[in-house]
Amino acid sequence: MTLPTKLQEIVDDIASMSREEKLETLIAYAESMPDLPERFKDERSKMEPVPECMTPVFIIAEKLESGGIFFHLDIPPQSPTVRGLASILTNGLNGCSLEEIISVPADFYIPMNLQEAVSQQRINGFIGVLAHMKQAAVKASS
Amino acid sequence: MSYAHPEYLVDTEWVANHLNDANVRVIESDEDPLLYAIGHIPGAVQVDWFSTLQHPLRRDFVTKEQFEEVASTLGITNDTTVVFYGDKSNWFACYALWLFQYYGHTNVKIMNGGRTKWEQEKRPLVKEVPSYARTTYSAKEADKSIRAFRDDIFKQIETKRPMVDVRSPKEYSGELTHMPNYPQEGATRGGHIPGAVSIPWSQAVNEADATFKTTEELVALYEGKNIKPDGEIIAYCRIGERSSLTWFVLKYLLGYEKVKNYDGSWTEWGNLVDAPIEK
Repeated sequence: MTLPTKLQEIVDDIASMSREEKLETLIAYAESMPDLPERFKDERSKMEPVPECMTPVFIIAEKLESGGIFFHLDIPPQSPTVRGLASILTNGLNGCSLEEIISVPADFYIPMNLQEAVSQQRINGFIGVLAHMKQAAVKASS
Repeated sequence: MSYAHPEYLVDTEWVANHLNDANVRVIESDEDPLLYAIGHIPGAVQVDWFSTLQHPLRRDFVTKEQFEEVASTLGITNDTTVVFYGDKSNWFACYALWLFQYYGHTNVKIMNGGRTKWEQEKRPLVKEVPSYARTTYSAKEADKSIRAFRDDIFKQIETKRPMVDVRSPKEYSGELTHMPNYPQEGATRGGHIPGAVSIPWSQAVNEADATFKTTEELVALYEGKNIKPDGEIIAYCRIGERSSLTWFVLKYLLGYEKVKNYDGSWTEWGNLVDAPIEK
């Protein structure tokens, strides 16, 4: 399986970390997630909801002039674990082509061994976010 | 009308005034465990329902000896007043409190409103993780009078004693085999335990600030569904966390004496071969 370069780098990086480092990284990712741009704030209805997550997660994808896809996510700060996990995906996939995004396999996360840091239910939510990012990317490209 | 055992509840102001009280240990217990790292009440320690309180191998809680180790590491003595708070209207704070009670630590309290109210009042949150001198804690034998196992449920059905299903209406009806938005914690069958009444946990708390409803409102809620003070009651949900909140409400806010939490809950019952189910 070939992942987009940036996502592969993140996966390799996290795979090499201790449990504590993984938690710190997730927190850093959660805190660095940008706010939803003002222009989307009234457009919740156009965004892709992620019912697999406990917290309200909304995703919107834009097609860049370069042809790549850029994701904006809206996740409340009260849910840092979800924000941190989703941030792995936006950091790894923003700017990628639609083909690269939709070919990310649902089990790409396994080498990161995230389950030593977060519960399995979170990981399933994480996979839900990926699936809905793919749908948002398709929508943005059509 | 005040709560039956108001000493089990403190408000945010009380906690703010006891941050430097050596006899008080404040514990944060969240649904999202990273929240503690993002910011917590100054001096508070963290207890995670999964990584701290669950047995590392079996589906069970930590053993008595492991619990002693947890309490000793957190600098808790047998006389420490332990105050719990957390996100999601104190679900997991109640769960942690229940487990402390299970191992005999009865000097426990919930901070009414949890993180939600503390944040709303713009009280301080810090990232600094405190460390306390290690203690030698000695736990009591597990108090089985507050914990129900599957065999207790079969007896409860047989004797037609009351049960409260605190899950969402769609989980109760069997439309969903999991909590809305938690598809992964499922069961192979949907529905509820025969005889259980549906009283979703959330009806016991005020949505605006996550505090508990008044005694009058709680009495109307539970007695209205025939969950009476003299009953031998078992509460359950999906993994036992939401029903810990209901257990807390019935036991300490309303003063019901015989209430158990069934932590196996639907993820056990809905997967148990030969167990009766109603839809």
